[in-house]
Amino acid sequence: MQVLRYLGKRALTYLVMIFLTTSAGYFLAVSSLKPALLEQEKIPRPSPEQVANSFRLLGLDPNLNPWERYIQWLGGILTRWDWGRSPNGAYVNAEFADRVMISTRLFIASIILTLIIGVALGVYSAARQYKFQDRAITSYSYLVHILPAPIAYFLVQLGAIGINDAVGERLFFVTGISTPGIEPGWPAFVDLVAHYAVPTFAMTVFGWAGYQIAQRQYLLDNVNADFVRTARAKGLTRNQAITRHALRVSFIPVAQSIAFTIPAIFTGGFFAEAIFAWPGVGLWSIDAIGKQDVNVATAMLAYGSVIFAIGAILADFATTLVDPRVRVQ
Amino acid sequence: MTNLIDTVAEVDEARAADVVIGKGRIIFRRFMRNKTAVTGLAIFLGLFAFSLFGGFLTTWDKETIDPLNIGMGPSPEHLLGTSQAGIDLLALVVEGTRVSIFIGLIVGGLSVLISAVYGCSMAFFGGKVDSVMLFILEALIMMPAILVVAVATSGGGQSLKELPSWLLLIAVLLFFSWMGTARLVRSLAMSLMQRDYVKAAKYMGVPSMRIVRRHLVPNIGSLLVLDFTRGITGAILAEVAFSYIGIGIKLPDVSLGVLIGGATWQVSSFPWMFWVPLTVMFLLTGSLAMMNDGLRDAFDPTSTSIGRAKTKKKSK
Amino acid sequence: MSSDITTQPSAVARQAVERLRDAGLYGPGDAVLSVRDLNVRFNSENGVVHAVRSVDFDLMAGKTLGIVGESGSGKSVTSMAIMGLLPETADISGSVRFKGQELLGLGDKAMCKHRGSDIAMVFQDPLSSLTPVYTVGHQIIEALTVHNPGMSSRAKEARAVELLAMVGIPSPQARLKSFPHEFSGGMRQRVMIAIAIANDPRVLIADEPTTALDVTIQAQVLEVLHAAQEETGAAVVMITHDLGVVAGMADDIMVMYAGKPVETGTVEDIYYRPRMPYTLGLLGAVPRVDTSQKSSLVPIEGTPPNLIKPVTGCTFADRCPLVTDECRTAEPALLPVVDGVTAGGGAHRAACIKSGALVDVDAHRIFHAPPVPVSKFDGVPRDERATVLELKDVKKHFPLLKGSLFKRRIGTVKAVDGLSFDIREGECLSIVGESGCGKTTTLLEIMEFHPDQVGEVVIGGVSNKAATDGKTKQAMRKEMQMVFQDPTGALDPRFTVYEVLAEPLENLGYPKDAIRKRIMELMKLVGLQPDHVNRFPNQFSGGQRQRIGIARALAVNPKLVVLDEPVSALDVSVQAGVINLLDQLRAELGLSYLMVAHDLSVVRHISNRVAVMYLGRIVEMGDVDQVFDNPRHPYTRALLSAIPVPDPELERTRERIILQGDLPSPLDAPQGCNFATRCPVFAALPQAKKDKCLTLEPPLVSEEAQQFACFFPDGEIDADMLVVHA
Repeated sequence: MQVLRYLGKRALTYLVMIFLTTSAGYFLAVSSLKPALLEQEKIPRPSPEQVANSFRLLGLDPNLNPWERYIQWLGGILTRWDWGRSPNGAYVNAEFADRVMISTRLFIASIILTLIIGVALGVYSAARQYKFQDRAITSYSYLVHILPAPIAYFLVQLGAIGINDAVGERLFFVTGISTPGIEPGWPAFVDLVAHYAVPTFAMTVFGWAGYQIAQRQYLLDNVNADFVRTARAKGLTRNQAITRHALRVSFIPVAQSIAFTIPAIFTGGFFAEAIFAWPGVGLWSIDAIGKQDVNVATAMLAYGSVIFAIGAILADFATTLVDPRVRVQ
Repeated sequence: MTNLIDTVAEVDEARAADVVIGKGRIIFRRFMRNKTAVTGLAIFLGLFAFSLFGGFLTTWDKETIDPLNIGMGPSPEHLLGTSQAGIDLLALVVEGTRVSIFIGLIVGGLSVLISAVYGCSMAFFGGKVDSVMLFILEALIMMPAILVVAVATSGGGQSLKELPSWLLLIAVLLFFSWMGTARLVRSLAMSLMQRDYVKAAKYMGVPSMRIVRRHLVPNIGSLLVLDFTRGITGAILAEVAFSYIGIGIKLPDVSLGVLIGGATWQVSSFPWMFWVPLTVMFLLTGSLAMMNDGLRDAFDPTSTSIGRAKTKKKSK
Repeated sequence: MSSDITTQPSAVARQAVERLRDAGLYGPGDAVLSVRDLNVRFNSENGVVHAVRSVDFDLMAGKTLGIVGESGSGKSVTSMAIMGLLPETADISGSVRFKGQELLGLGDKAMCKHRGSDIAMVFQDPLSSLTPVYTVGHQIIEALTVHNPGMSSRAKEARAVELLAMVGIPSPQARLKSFPHEFSGGMRQRVMIAIAIANDPRVLIADEPTTALDVTIQAQVLEVLHAAQEETGAAVVMITHDLGVVAGMADDIMVMYAGKPVETGTVEDIYYRPRMPYTLGLLGAVPRVDTSQKSSLVPIEGTPPNLIKPVTGCTFADRCPLVTDECRTAEPALLPVVDGVTAGGGAHRAACIKSGALVDVDAHRIFHAPPVPVSKFDGVPRDERATVLELKDVKKHFPLLKGSLFKRRIGTVKAVDGLSFDIREGECLSIVGESGCGKTTTLLEIMEFHPDQVGEVVIGGVSNKAATDGKTKQAMRKEMQMVFQDPTGALDPRFTVYEVLAEPLENLGYPKDAIRKRIMELMKLVGLQPDHVNRFPNQFSGGQRQRIGIARALAVNPKLVVLDEPVSALDVSVQAGVINLLDQLRAELGLSYLMVAHDLSVVRHISNRVAVMYLGRIVEMGDVDQVFDNPRHPYTRALLSAIPVPDPELERTRERIILQGDLPSPLDAPQGCNFATRCPVFAALPQAKKDKCLTLEPPLVSEEAQQFACFFPDGEIDADMLVVHA
């Protein structure tokens, strides 16, 4: 099928891009991150030879030049799918799955909610253009634009603590994934909700603004389109014409724009994980960089690129689904 | 046609002086008519003045510790209170505002320049050059900027280590801030090159560089000015966000992000430490957003008196 | 009493009718659609625009009313008000009754019962009027579902196929599944008509249904509309700016100006006995394709009034040559024409206090049409005049590529395929043909003037093959300049007129004071006020902007001006002034023109010679009168036959050739004669002769002052492609 061939080609292009960005990232990391210097601060202080020796065993030989290390690293990935080890000896591959799971759990609910609420509010505010509801919703979205994500999350945390204090009971957890040693079953579920509520709420209320503004704009671009007039001339009411015709057409650019918000969610994820203390990929990367861990940093960079590429390809696919004009190309 | 009178009056006035100045003045006047935008401009200029001369409001500087007032609330001696370390908060905020505005201006300005040059080159050369440049651009968009920021600013590398953290942050923010605008400039320049008046100039034998200067640049200019203010906002926000989670600017350098981030742990005991720099940041980004709105109106020919006639014609 | 517009029986009878109407009753002889004192006001930032002012008309079942007017005359707003499609902010008053039932004031939901079932509408732009994400089948079936909720889906599909077949879409069953973008503009307009007639409406409103289409396609779509009307028996309101389009179709005409009807009557009344100076001017402003009319066109100076200001006198007063003080005291009412010539009965009405004095007057005289300009070259035989432009076997082939990553060539588009012609001093050659025939590419090839082109372009004695350095090119640029189609797009909105006109002069290194002097000259030359040089283009009307464009082209004193559809973006009344200007400049300055135009009437008026292009080749070329009066190539014959003439008598009786289908994609250009697929002569040929057309390419042969590329010139036209309206 033509669509599949087209998407296949796109995927190939992205594969090349991922390879290049990851390689560039590796060179940047390998030349700026020096784990050996941190080892020197350990007590008892190891001799440089000891450090170099132990790092050589981990495949992080500081005495090799970047190019040699790159070849070694790339060879590991290509032959054994081994993304290397951390300075403490842990395998990147081993930890990766856990981290991704944690991140996905943190984000999945808010991504879905953000999309649904953002698009719904966009449609609602477009339908009430210049009325009070529209002004309130849209002003809120613009306000969110001038607030940095971590501070926004922190303000939500403050609010949750305020509620806890007011109720006099710990309703919400503002950090962490779960309480250790909780009983399975109902208590575990309550604990899960209590941990989930705050980050999901924070990411959702500060996340939908972009979708709301985009959806509102695209729908407004279409409500006075000629084809909506045609639909009304057929005998559809204004609302029917808008929901059946304008809305459907306005989804086309929204579907495309999702591609560019997926990496933004990933980036926002760093802040969310840092503020809410969820040890997902974001926090792992920050920690790794703090520990001068070349391999984890590069793996995370690759992961980010892959997420972007998947988003872009999904957007292409979504576009071919909603826009018949692309299908025939 | 319907509002010939007021536009004519506008131009008649402009004609008295040089015509080129007249056009700038029309844009200026449209901007000044927008109250929100003027308020934004006033706030921004006020903050800018504060960041330059605010130091005179206090006798303390950002390094001296006042051992008698450690972690104290606002008082006559320390107008905004002191930090946990006993440093005057006003002095810190002045310094932080200056650094934030500085980062914003540099990153906003330079990234506009880069995107204009990059985007125009893509549109102008087209063909293979365009596709290679587009590939590079998309690859850069693909990279998670935050990781690169983190790697670059926390690296133990020899060459990067010597640089102050704010300079490193500027370099990295700059590197990742221009791609979106470059893409816009490219498509705008491409569509401008298809306009009949550009073709007309070409058929008159007007040299390419002159066409670019006289027809392309002024028409892309408004986009660039808008993007400049947007870029400043973006850079300030990014600085705050990155510094807040500890991967941007690092002590002893001070910025709004560093101040806000440093105060979050004791927000209940030292609330002024958190809210003062946060308010300043809000005023800064908010005033820029307000200005941006007014600038968009002033530049957009469809939202002005000229455009009104156009939309009316369509409605008939 | 036979007429249909505003029938005015005796006062008593009228009252009875009105009483019946007020009671919501509808008599069989009554109007199916009755509009009374319709007013529409819009709020704008500058004040209230009174877009439609007291429009009255009655539309009888099965009849056609033509509403004629220029942009901004309120004709489209009237139709949208009837349909209830104006924005909620519009203030609408008066009465619109469908079969006696009041429609104004109905809510959106109540109005939906009428829209699409009782009253349907076809819009101007077929490209944007269909929803891109739904199949045409879906969109037709939707129209059926709205008004027939009980209809089975099988019945609806069958009806949709039937409708598509009715509007002439080949293999309708298969095309149900197609999306709008898979159809050409003409085909999409057919789909629009199918949607409109889906529920057998009693009233069909067509708002400029063919304006966006090529003439051949326009003829097809008008035929479809005609057939649809016969099929459904609907009354039709045809809104147009083109007096030719409605001449053959309409029973009655309403001419609108500045939001108000200024003259109404039967089609004969309006075309043969106009009694309002505006109508008179409009009819004189349109050139005719069917006669060699070597008189100037009637120019209507000025622009329509601003409808924000209250109307104090006749709205046309400022542009009317017959204006007297009396005209400005009060707005004249639309009164029955009493002059002893008009058929009488009060159906012919005009809003002019001087209507009685307009019997048998010559529009050219009262509008002071300029005398026909005579060029110094007009007396010189063509062979003795110097050649200003010569094309020798110019070709432009584009490779057609496919694939995004690895492109491969799947074919060649022969946009221009071996073009040779020349233009002599003082003459105008026009290239005509449907869009996609290569006429614009030809212009671009000439303007490009590059040594790497295939074929030779010689301008003022300089060949493109010799144009290797900047100097030669610069010399050529001095010889030839261009005027663009869209006067708005051709002027940089950030430049004042002075800067626009100075650009070519500065480029040639004129000193400053010489530039200033030249600009003043140019402003006068094109009929603009020299003290307007500091204004911006958007402060001028469309016609004035085109004059600026012409002035810019003339700035460097070129010998040849290339005109790309110079008047197609202008209103009819403004168009005449620009055409007259072009005529006058050609004579006074001894210019040569190379024009591309789709309006053959304009071409006939302005040109000396004409070249007809089809799929990148010239199929016929010669003196304009020769070609227009005695076309030899079947394509030229079809093209000329597709042009509606503003003469109702002639329009109703003349035979017209309706070509089948669209211009084929250049990719599928057939072997042999590339017109064979649509050729009306070919279709009638015996098989033995057909083979010749299919295998051999007809060469361009000369006969007297005419060249054509056809093996069977003047051949019999296939009866299926020939239509006469009885």
